[in-house]
Amino acid sequence: MELMTYSTQTLWTWWFAVYLFLGGMGAAVVAVSFITHRHLSESRNLVMWGALSGVAMMAAGSGMLFIHLMDKWAAIYILTPWGIFQKPDAWIAWGSQFIVWLQIAAILYALPYMVTSRRLLAMPLVGSILKMGLMTKVAAFAERSHGFWGWVSILAGLGTVVYTGLLLQSFPAVVLWHNPALPILFTVSALSTAMAWLLIVMYLFLGDSVEQRIRALYERVDLGLITAELIIIFSFFNYTLSGSEAGYRSAQMLWNDAGWLFGFIGIGLVVPLIIEFKCVFGSWGGKRTVIPASLCVLTGGYLLRHYFMAAGVYAYPW
Amino acid sequence: MAHYVMVIDLNTCVGCNACMAACSLENQTPVWSDEWRTYVHDREVGKGRSVRRHFIPRLCNHCENPPCMTVCPTGATYRGVGGTVQVEEDLCMGCQACALACPYDARYPFTNEDMKEGEAYYGTLKRSSSSMDKCSFCEHRIKEGKQPACVQTCVGYSRMFGDLDNPGHPVTELIKSGKAQPLLGHLGTRPSVYYIPQK
Repeated sequence: MELMTYSTQTLWTWWFAVYLFLGGMGAAVVAVSFITHRHLSESRNLVMWGALSGVAMMAAGSGMLFIHLMDKWAAIYILTPWGIFQKPDAWIAWGSQFIVWLQIAAILYALPYMVTSRRLLAMPLVGSILKMGLMTKVAAFAERSHGFWGWVSILAGLGTVVYTGLLLQSFPAVVLWHNPALPILFTVSALSTAMAWLLIVMYLFLGDSVEQRIRALYERVDLGLITAELIIIFSFFNYTLSGSEAGYRSAQMLWNDAGWLFGFIGIGLVVPLIIEFKCVFGSWGGKRTVIPASLCVLTGGYLLRHYFMAAGVYAYPW
Repeated sequence: MAHYVMVIDLNTCVGCNACMAACSLENQTPVWSDEWRTYVHDREVGKGRSVRRHFIPRLCNHCENPPCMTVCPTGATYRGVGGTVQVEEDLCMGCQACALACPYDARYPFTNEDMKEGEAYYGTLKRSSSSMDKCSFCEHRIKEGKQPACVQTCVGYSRMFGDLDNPGHPVTELIKSGKAQPLLGHLGTRPSVYYIPQK
């Protein structure tokens, strides 16, 4: 009975990391851009970019999970609202509902702006769809309940972000996943990647339509989030280093891997931390520094999930 | 209500793998993919003159607090007769979350490819669709008053099956006396499979 075998799983690999990454980031993009719009900025372009890019990310991420399902028709059980009444203890059931309603609400929140956007109306296919009578009616409906759809999006977005961590936390055999810090880590990381993505969008596509103070705020918040992520990662390191053999092996796998050390810790956290610190407190700033830093944050966001999926160690008593 | 449990005596398991053969034929498991509902791990322990082989049969532990059932988003994993944990194939979408949640490595995918292979291997398949698969404690046999196929076939009487709520049953006595212990009890899964350690 004293024999133990330590191994990692091979079922949820890189594609599941993509699901967690794009799902978390897409949901956070919608939540962050909509909170900004409701309280800090009147930029309609930010809403449209936030909604469309966020929904596209979630669709791509969910698609990764969907194409790996063995029976795709059975997914209907979690896509319909009574799925969570049937299985309220299953986080995938909650996550699916969050993602479905987030996508619907985000599009409804952005639609009143989309039907009046000259750039979108000028696009060949998109323009003709937006000019349809049905779209105008739906947009008018969404306009009347604009605040409601905004808050549904924000709450479902935050729910999705937290869900990505709760899902892994619900697997009790893996020390690296089954701990209270994982949902916090994934939440901080998702918000950080969302800020980074929105900074890229603002610098490359939105020009002066979003106030400079919003960019400065995002840079400051992202600096705080990266700092928090580093602290949580150090806490994970300290936690896994002793207490259980499986946790220790996870720590060994991560901290002896060049991709984790130089890719995630180095490029994903330390480099953007230094650049954004210099932007916020020093003389750096502008497109040429913020965009590379943001790209580093996005790289780190994926690598975090990739390595966490790969380094989850099971301890089998045989 | 019954609470079905299994006790496995590691001192009498000879590693013949008859349980694996009986189970695979009874339940049509995808042996061509090297996936089994029960599997006997064979480890060499010690060195020189004290070397010995160590067999540990593994199967679904039919936990009272099963993490696989909790994470299952469609309700495909459910509580069956006598506290067993069962899978409704038609409800399972094959997300494989149950496999990651199980601390006993008891879950595996019975894929669409396995469905085709299974028809060629076993003839008519008992299942209607692909799904995550696992030991059912041979629920269909229990309902008929029989023992699970692996217990029935065990030549060393290493596997014992019974109702924990029956105070006079030998398995109840082995468990209540503490001679038989669950695996990974600290995880809070409350398994229904117990092991008598090797002396």
